[in-house]
Amino acid sequence: MSDIAPGLQTALADSPHYEFVSNHLSLLLSSYPPPFIFIHDPETVRLTASLVQSTLHGLASKSPTSGESQIKYACVNAVACFSPRILYDTALNALAGWTPDWRDGATNWHGSGAEARRYNENFDAFVHGIQTIAAGADNAGENAQTNGAGKGKGKAKEQGAPPNRRLVLVVERAERLKDNLPELVVPLTRLGELSQVDITTLFLSEVQWQDIRLPLRASPEPYYIDVPFLIKQDTQELLASAYPSPPAESSTSAVDVDAYHPALKPLYTHFIATLCSTCSPFTHDPIELAYIAAARWPGFIQPVLDAHRGLLKEEEIASSAEDGDADGKHEPHELQPPTEDTRLRLIRLFTPSFTAALESLYPRLSNAMDWARVHAPPVDLLLMPPGHAPEALAAQVVTNAASLNTQHGPTEAGIEALPRMAKFVLVAAFLASTNPARSDLRMFGRGLDERSKRRKRKVGTPRKPKPGTTGTAVKIPQRLLGPTTFPLDRLIAILGVLLEENDADTRPAAPQYTVSGEYTEMEIARVALHANIVELASMRLLVRTSPPDSLDRVPMFKCGIGYELAIKLAKSLGIILNDLVYEVV
Amino acid sequence: MDSVEIRTPKHLLTTLKRSLGSPAPRGSTHIPPLGTPRLPPAAPGSPTKHALPLPPASALRQRRLRTPSPEPVRPPLVSLSHTARKAAAASPSKRQRNQASQRTEEGLPRDLPDHLHPLLERQKRAILKALQQPPEIDEIEVYGEDYPPTNTNAYEQLSDLLMGSVVRGEGNSCLLIGPSGSGKTQMVERAITALPTTPIVVRLSGYAQHNDRLAIREIAWQLAQQTGTSFLPAESDEEDEEDAADPPATVEQEASGETLEEEGDDDENPFVDHAPAAPSSLVEPVITLPPPSHLLALISMIPTLPRPTVIVLDGFDLFASHARQALLYCLLDTAQSCRTGTGAGSGMAVVGVTARVDTINILEKRVKSRFSGRMIRTACPTKLDHWITLAKAALGAPCTGENAEDVEEWAEIWNKAVPQFMEDERVVEALRDVYALTRDFQIFRRIMTCLTLELTDISPYPTLKMLKAAISRQRCPARYPPLNTLPYPAICLLIAQVHAQTSGHDVFTFEMLHDAFKNQVRTSQAAPVQIQGGGVGMAFERLVDLRIFLPAASPATSVAKEFALHRCAVDRFAVKKAVEQMGQLNLRKWLTKS
Repeated sequence: MSDIAPGLQTALADSPHYEFVSNHLSLLLSSYPPPFIFIHDPETVRLTASLVQSTLHGLASKSPTSGESQIKYACVNAVACFSPRILYDTALNALAGWTPDWRDGATNWHGSGAEARRYNENFDAFVHGIQTIAAGADNAGENAQTNGAGKGKGKAKEQGAPPNRRLVLVVERAERLKDNLPELVVPLTRLGELSQVDITTLFLSEVQWQDIRLPLRASPEPYYIDVPFLIKQDTQELLASAYPSPPAESSTSAVDVDAYHPALKPLYTHFIATLCSTCSPFTHDPIELAYIAAARWPGFIQPVLDAHRGLLKEEEIASSAEDGDADGKHEPHELQPPTEDTRLRLIRLFTPSFTAALESLYPRLSNAMDWARVHAPPVDLLLMPPGHAPEALAAQVVTNAASLNTQHGPTEAGIEALPRMAKFVLVAAFLASTNPARSDLRMFGRGLDERSKRRKRKVGTPRKPKPGTTGTAVKIPQRLLGPTTFPLDRLIAILGVLLEENDADTRPAAPQYTVSGEYTEMEIARVALHANIVELASMRLLVRTSPPDSLDRVPMFKCGIGYELAIKLAKSLGIILNDLVYEVV
Repeated sequence: MDSVEIRTPKHLLTTLKRSLGSPAPRGSTHIPPLGTPRLPPAAPGSPTKHALPLPPASALRQRRLRTPSPEPVRPPLVSLSHTARKAAAASPSKRQRNQASQRTEEGLPRDLPDHLHPLLERQKRAILKALQQPPEIDEIEVYGEDYPPTNTNAYEQLSDLLMGSVVRGEGNSCLLIGPSGSGKTQMVERAITALPTTPIVVRLSGYAQHNDRLAIREIAWQLAQQTGTSFLPAESDEEDEEDAADPPATVEQEASGETLEEEGDDDENPFVDHAPAAPSSLVEPVITLPPPSHLLALISMIPTLPRPTVIVLDGFDLFASHARQALLYCLLDTAQSCRTGTGAGSGMAVVGVTARVDTINILEKRVKSRFSGRMIRTACPTKLDHWITLAKAALGAPCTGENAEDVEEWAEIWNKAVPQFMEDERVVEALRDVYALTRDFQIFRRIMTCLTLELTDISPYPTLKMLKAAISRQRCPARYPPLNTLPYPAICLLIAQVHAQTSGHDVFTFEMLHDAFKNQVRTSQAAPVQIQGGGVGMAFERLVDLRIFLPAASPATSVAKEFALHRCAVDRFAVKKAVEQMGQLNLRKWLTKS
């Protein structure tokens, strides 16, 4: 279940920082554990989860000496186990060492022999399953399962009297239990006393227990283990020691085979140090940093590898020219760690791209592989004159991006392709969502009497005090509070104004419309327009807030696009949006 | 007398020192128990003449007889090892320094020799074991004239009641009420194991059985597990060990025959399921539940089972919230109508366990009238000495090893280290702080567990610092990670939130904070230029994940993420502190900007 790179995992196991947690945990679990343990780690919860798993794996694979119990554990992830049955089955399968097999119908563990039944009906059945496992009744079932499906914990040896078992149930991301399965939180924490067997529940979360527990003290208080905060120095050491082993020759990865050559490890340490100092103000998570490092390192090391290959080629030419006086002299040139000068040059060249990597990779606007491809440096970067290298790098990124065609996000490309009327609708929807309805007459009213009316009202209203001075809250512009809903009629009316002012000249001549505005009236009454609106709503560029199946009500909508997109659309239609927005940005 | 009653422990401590430092110490010095501000009126520790005429012989006899003595006979807190006595014999002013110097030269090796390291591990295990099964302590000594404590009384009442059901075949019901961590569950388990014969025990919990249907199914299952072989097909092999003690099958046939006689309308035993009703499972099941229509009849036939039954209802108040309280009604009615002396049935006891004090009031009238009304109260320890004695007993748990010499050497060192630790006034003070907040035994156990786990080869003896760390970790762990460890954009968002709050908006959207942030970046040149895009949004999500920003409205699909309303769970002072700890001038400027 753990999805952490093996390099990071081994580095983690050796890290002195986490020794505290693993020591506490293994001592507790191998002696006399409390029935409920809560591990709180606000920062690096995934690392801790993998650490807990490896600790438990170590404990479970240890053959028990006299007086100790055989530990069996199950790790369930509360994100993956979103229903009680999935949780029960996952836990029981892992505890019983049962792997569902495709050939026998992928059945879940159902006990063995005569005791077989379904253990996922409800919590009581789950408890019965746990009792069965704790009593050691699953041994027969595991032995019967001969087709290699078992997890093979080496338990088949102890056929005789089974040692007493200690079960451990780890729930990762336990904060999700409160949202998904609130009825299970209390029983899981009381599993020990409910099942009357030796079982410890271990919750692992980035949220403190206070925020998960249910009211009225229904759950017992856990034994707290707080994972200490990982300081920058530790993060750096952890990442540097997680230098990946070179990939196998046959691997199909896009990364250069020599990119993780052992000789480059010192350079990698420097690289990580620079990366950490650039990125650590924004994220402390070692996994995120490792992701960014994995995306940047192949490009970073490419110039060194290029230089090395160039050297090899020259040697080859030279040796072929000399032509074999002594073949033994010319060993293939080993990859040397680059000089201090090269290192400084590389770091200076690539440091700006660290921030770019953070910008697009941390929110996962792009993925590591695409990003690495786009930001691959030009060939033989180190041979260029130092003054030109940065420009060459930037130019290469542009050409890469153009060739890979990942410049535009899919949303923007889709919006460019919208029909002209749909763009008008979107701009109108933006205006309808942003402007207050009472300002419509002022913003869009084009009649003669409108001006005098407004002036009259303006005179009548008393002077309002300056906002923020009287104790009332400062008014927040509507565009920060989000779009408001509007009825379809209002959208059509605003659309009419926009069309009349910006679209009327471009239409084909239609002599049958004589009154001014009649043509526009016709346009906004077309079925195609309504079809357009429905389509936009299905694309979520308009959000329909009223139920779709009511015929007798006016449909209500909300704008689904932001200010930037709206102003871009308006510009393409020739509308000056800022003149029409009530609160100027 | 009144003056003694209001005396504070500190004050008592000074009197203790004075009396210890007096030139003519008596053979048995009486020292008042320290843990309690509420002193027994006749506390002999006070230097009044009331304390003096107590013949030690009578005290000894009383202790031997194990009857509650009217006065605390021994100093429970300071056990007056020779160390303390020596230290106390010096003048009070020099005492502290004296003790400190002794501690280093006391004979505790600063670095533990290598061959003792395994023994430290064993000692840790022994302590953990002792914490799991709390050692017996001398309650008479701890409680003095308050003996017996509530729990001892409660235990006697409970075991009397269970005995009545098990031995005499009565139908009983009672309610065990007490705060959590006061030993209710443990007491029930202890009382059940102490019974002369093994009853059928049905354990239900209101936390697991949310409705009566689940509860009755569970009763049926547990009864089927424990009542044995005759109800089951012959090939069943694995059963609980209780089945070995079961009467042979013929007797059980009679028992089922009795069922037939007593319940004329119920023509077959609900446990015997002739047609296995689980076609989905691959193998023929052994224990099948009776069909649902028979489930309610199950309860009324509990007294006809061959062995007496004890039904433990944990979370009793939750069962009262079930529809019509039907299960409680059936159980209590059956228990009440249990006839003794006829020899036909065996006894039945219903024990409700709850922490809610008004449980009796939430029972419906018809249910309440079936309940015997017996309410047994448990309580947490009423004296700090209880904890201290427990701590001493747990820490001093004997450990064993292969090498007898090493064990001896270790025991010598360890038996010196533990009293040294426990006699430190600051240690007692720290424990008293916890005790004043909660008397839950669980928290005591957690603190001691944490303390034990902290012992390492480098620092093998418990210290005050470790205890304090353990207390702060276990008593009330911080709700949020320290704010100054948050990433930079997150702190910026917190500052923006503080400003939004000042201008009257407790509820904010991401866009509001982002706008404020962008303005700040634009107006002050000092702000970092690196942040443009994603970092801020990720920081916002991170704060939501950490529950520092809480959603103020239920999530709706029609509201875009950046406009969802949130409120902040930390106040401005915490933000201010974090900003000061980060020590970045531009952030501090922004925060203080009005």
